Amino acid sequence: MPKSVISIGPYHPLQEEPEHFQLTVEGEKVVDIEVSVGYNHRGIEKLSERRSFDQATFVIERICGICSTSHPFAYTQAVEDIIPVEVPERAKYIRTIIAEGERIHSHLLWFGLAGHFLGYNTVYMWMWRLREEILDVMEILSGNRQNYAMFKPGGVRRDIKPEDIPLAIKKIDSILPTVDRLKKAILDDPVLHARLKGIGTLTKEEAIAYCALGPTSRASGVARDVRKDAPYGAYDRLDWNMIVTANGDVWDKAVVRLLELYESIKIMKHCLLNLPGGEIDLNLKSIPPGEGIGAHEAPRGETFHYVRSDGTNRPARHKVRAPTFMNLPTLKATVPGSSIADAAIILAAIDPCYCCTERMAVRSADGRKLYSGEELLRLSREKTSRIQKELGKR
Amino acid sequence: MKLPKLRELLEAVNSLVHRPYTSRFPFEPHTPYPSFRGQPKYDPDRCLGCLACEEVCPTEAIAHRDLTDDGTPRRVMIHYTDTCIFCGSCEAACIADHQGIRLSADWELSFFDRAKESFETIDKELAICEICGSVIACRDHLRWIAERLGELAFSSPTLYQTRLRELGIIDPILLEAARSFGREDRMKILCARCRRQTTLTTAAWPQGQEAGQGLT
Repeated sequence: MPKSVISIGPYHPLQEEPEHFQLTVEGEKVVDIEVSVGYNHRGIEKLSERRSFDQATFVIERICGICSTSHPFAYTQAVEDIIPVEVPERAKYIRTIIAEGERIHSHLLWFGLAGHFLGYNTVYMWMWRLREEILDVMEILSGNRQNYAMFKPGGVRRDIKPEDIPLAIKKIDSILPTVDRLKKAILDDPVLHARLKGIGTLTKEEAIAYCALGPTSRASGVARDVRKDAPYGAYDRLDWNMIVTANGDVWDKAVVRLLELYESIKIMKHCLLNLPGGEIDLNLKSIPPGEGIGAHEAPRGETFHYVRSDGTNRPARHKVRAPTFMNLPTLKATVPGSSIADAAIILAAIDPCYCCTERMAVRSADGRKLYSGEELLRLSREKTSRIQKELGKR
Repeated sequence: MKLPKLRELLEAVNSLVHRPYTSRFPFEPHTPYPSFRGQPKYDPDRCLGCLACEEVCPTEAIAHRDLTDDGTPRRVMIHYTDTCIFCGSCEAACIADHQGIRLSADWELSFFDRAKESFETIDKELAICEICGSVIACRDHLRWIAERLGELAFSSPTLYQTRLRELGIIDPILLEAARSFGREDRMKILCARCRRQTTLTTAAWPQGQEAGQGLT
């Protein structure tokens, strides 16, 4: 059978972000995939080297719109690693609260998008409505729905007021029944079982070989989580479980995220109820020469920052490694062998975040046949309805 | 197969009888939560024009312009609402008890003409060097420093003269003594450069002579 090449990108039609996949297909079947990243140079690292250590936090925060706390979390830890210094206990708890709130809304967002890709727009609407509640909690606690501006080297910028906590807890509790319903709806649905199980499987060996991170690796049975492996913030003081499943297919990745929602809600509530008193900021005056690293378990995996200081008030070098940079190559193992209709959800299953990753280099694209967003969506939804019909006949 | 369908049906009926979750925004005003970070606003009475906010602003959304050519010399503090990221660094850095610029609850900042409507300004009166005419600081800022220093302010004529003139106290004996030595410039409100030169030089300066002329 003749092979043909399908280009998706350099602008992802579904996720509306720059990347480029080239699927080599034989008929309906994908036999190879080529992943190209680096279409969007944003100059964030250079920009942060032109700001003071304190001001750079705001640039770092804007690397990504969804994980807007992950990057400052890793960055502030890297700066604190230069000195080195321990932040106050209360600041650690506040940081943990914000980070977990972000994980909840990021996973909800992924569920919404996954539902959208599969033609389950009900899930899409449910999840994004739930996400609003969490964004409200973030607004109550930090003053904004996104870009919380809470982190600074040496502590946090603003305190969580005791009078805000009851309302935040109430809002977090209010999403639990719907998350329960979603859990049942997903776990019971035979169509989703048929659609997601066994596709895009990443074996444990492959996950280790590709250095997969976050839910992508945990779904494949690799127990890899910075929060457990090298505890930071308040994670070593809390009781929570790392969710690990064995199969590594898209279904397992969804289950890992679903169960992580519960863990994050648990951690967030516990921290809010047991917030220790004391200072929230060390008021660092200067950063000595040296270098430091910081890592944070973002919703998509480990975010890693390296900062070098030359004794001035600006970072001399700042390097960012986003989790998607490690997770994207796993597509090389998961996509070949699947059909084009499955490709859309497999590509989305690693929860790719291109704005984190795409900061590095510029490449030119050679124009080939492009699949439009509608076409991919149509293929994916047609398969879902096909399965629905087949199951209905039985 | 039956159970999930029932659940979806229940949700559908629920959605039918309930109001949409989204707010009817243009018709109903949106009130943010009390901790919401909105547009920073200057308080013209509390702001000292010290430029600490301009220094810390990560996006350079705060600027100033010193107008000394026409009328009362004044410093225009400019806040660009379109560049601002509402991080609150300006409020945190404000030396006037964090009251000179404060985050408000204003979030609706759309405008039609970027050149005219994308910023807000306040005017602060400037203190001008009485010899060379360069900008020293805002009058409120000098007064604030003098108040904070207490009696220590009397080590700097610029500070205590600002304070005394504000109160309408002019000591004729002191002024006369300085004048009789030809050194009345010592009693003026001066910029740092002119202050250094009037302090270091021993030459008597006739009235009207530029500072620093006797120094070469």
